[in-house]
Amino acid sequence: MSELRASLWAFRVVLGRDLRVYLSYRSRLFSQALTSVFSLTLFYYVSRLVHVSGFASPADYFGFVIVGIALVGVLYSCFSVAETVRQELVAGTFERLVLSPFGPVRSVIAMAVFPLLYAFVLAAFTLTLGWLVFGLNLHWSTVPLAVPAMALALLAFLPFGLAFAALTVVMKQGNVGVSWVIALISIVGGLYFPISLLPEWVQTATEFQPFTPATEMLRHLLVDSPQTTSALATIGRVTLFAAVLLPVSIWTLGRAIRESQRRGTIVEY
Amino acid sequence: MRPLSLRAAAAPAATVPATAPVPAAVAQPGEPPADAVPLSLVGVGKRWRGADEPVLSGVDLKLDIGTATWIGGRNGAGKTTLLRIAAGLIEPDRGRVQAWGYSPRERRANYHRLVAFLPAGDRGLYARLSVRQQLRFWAGMTMLDRATGERLVEDSLRRFDLGELADRRVDRMSMGQRQRVRLAMTFLPEPETVLLDEPLTSLDSEGAALLETAVAALLERGGALLWCSPSGDHPEHEFDRDWLLEGGRLVRASGEAQR
Repeated sequence: MSELRASLWAFRVVLGRDLRVYLSYRSRLFSQALTSVFSLTLFYYVSRLVHVSGFASPADYFGFVIVGIALVGVLYSCFSVAETVRQELVAGTFERLVLSPFGPVRSVIAMAVFPLLYAFVLAAFTLTLGWLVFGLNLHWSTVPLAVPAMALALLAFLPFGLAFAALTVVMKQGNVGVSWVIALISIVGGLYFPISLLPEWVQTATEFQPFTPATEMLRHLLVDSPQTTSALATIGRVTLFAAVLLPVSIWTLGRAIRESQRRGTIVEY
Repeated sequence: MRPLSLRAAAAPAATVPATAPVPAAVAQPGEPPADAVPLSLVGVGKRWRGADEPVLSGVDLKLDIGTATWIGGRNGAGKTTLLRIAAGLIEPDRGRVQAWGYSPRERRANYHRLVAFLPAGDRGLYARLSVRQQLRFWAGMTMLDRATGERLVEDSLRRFDLGELADRRVDRMSMGQRQRVRLAMTFLPEPETVLLDEPLTSLDSEGAALLETAVAALLERGGALLWCSPSGDHPEHEFDRDWLLEGGRLVRASGEAQR
């Protein structure tokens, strides 16, 4: 079997493992679906209570924030790989991966696949529920384009999760910073409110991360929100972030594992 | 427990060559060197951060084809560190590690295809997976194709008498049963060099006998075994080579120095 086929098979095996482990906790799906229902209900009424400048109607803000909520789930999935690595370190399974021909770097990348697919499904569920129950105005003619756009966004977001995974390998506790980083991204990424409300210097800082353009791109495709730049420029920016950050994060992860092997801390947790 | 005999039965160490070509599964044109041996440690040293003395200081060790080697020593002597270095899990501060001509640093995938390691303890299993799922997962990680992986999974279930437990989740098994699963994973890809750290932990006599059979098959096909356990365990077993790890160096179990 060629190296590529064997690698693809190993990726599939990791995906299958994660699915089985997920399904072994039977209440998890129900619990997360319930979270989506309550979030939608909460923001449905918040959108009717608060007038946000820049939105013509409460329905516009509701559409804006629902896409943000769906993306928060995706962000958590990207960063969850750090927590998974932490669990693998504690269980002693990470050292097995280090000793496998597939190797730890590819294993960690493969570990990110299931949470991302799951977040993708959960985001689709949230939007569908918003449309069916809360009258969310989906822009159906461009909704199919949101699928490849989301895939591109994931490639731009994933490096941040891999960087935290690298931190977890070295520091054993890298995942503790995940919550505040996601909260920060929620602010500068404009997930809950438009970044035009932020101070100007913060708005400038948003130029240096992929979350704002990716969010804007997905909002435009899903609920027809206006774009501040052309679609092509937005796609170009997100692609550039993915193209630069992904190799850098993979290299960083490899270095982190190697350094832990050199120091002998790869077996610690 | 009856004594285990881990001396090479079908191919006594004295009659087989000490070196051999790399197994065909990983051999590539032009490499590796013809003098490939199952495991070679040269001048391996390791000092833990903050420690006054190195845990290993210039350890030399060579495993020959078809032989079983035992390393004993008191608790904390450095046996586990030595095995982890030999497995390619951690790096030595100095010295060289090779198996079948491959270094775990430069050719890690080939190295790990040939060298299998059972760490001490009961960790390294996914609690929510069944035994069969665990083994299938490991077959995928060793990059075996699906058909070969399935065959070796079934072989492993048989070899360690796990057939009846195949669909049971690991977190619902006894410690001894888990140890059999860990051994089954170690031997699953039919490695050429096997490193075992206190493998008898939690095993009953039946489990120990299954391990003996697996080791005999390994030695018969020209592989090699390195077994570490505290000194007190040794009288139960027979090995081709016996070493003690003392003061960071290997000495013959009889007391003779390594060099």
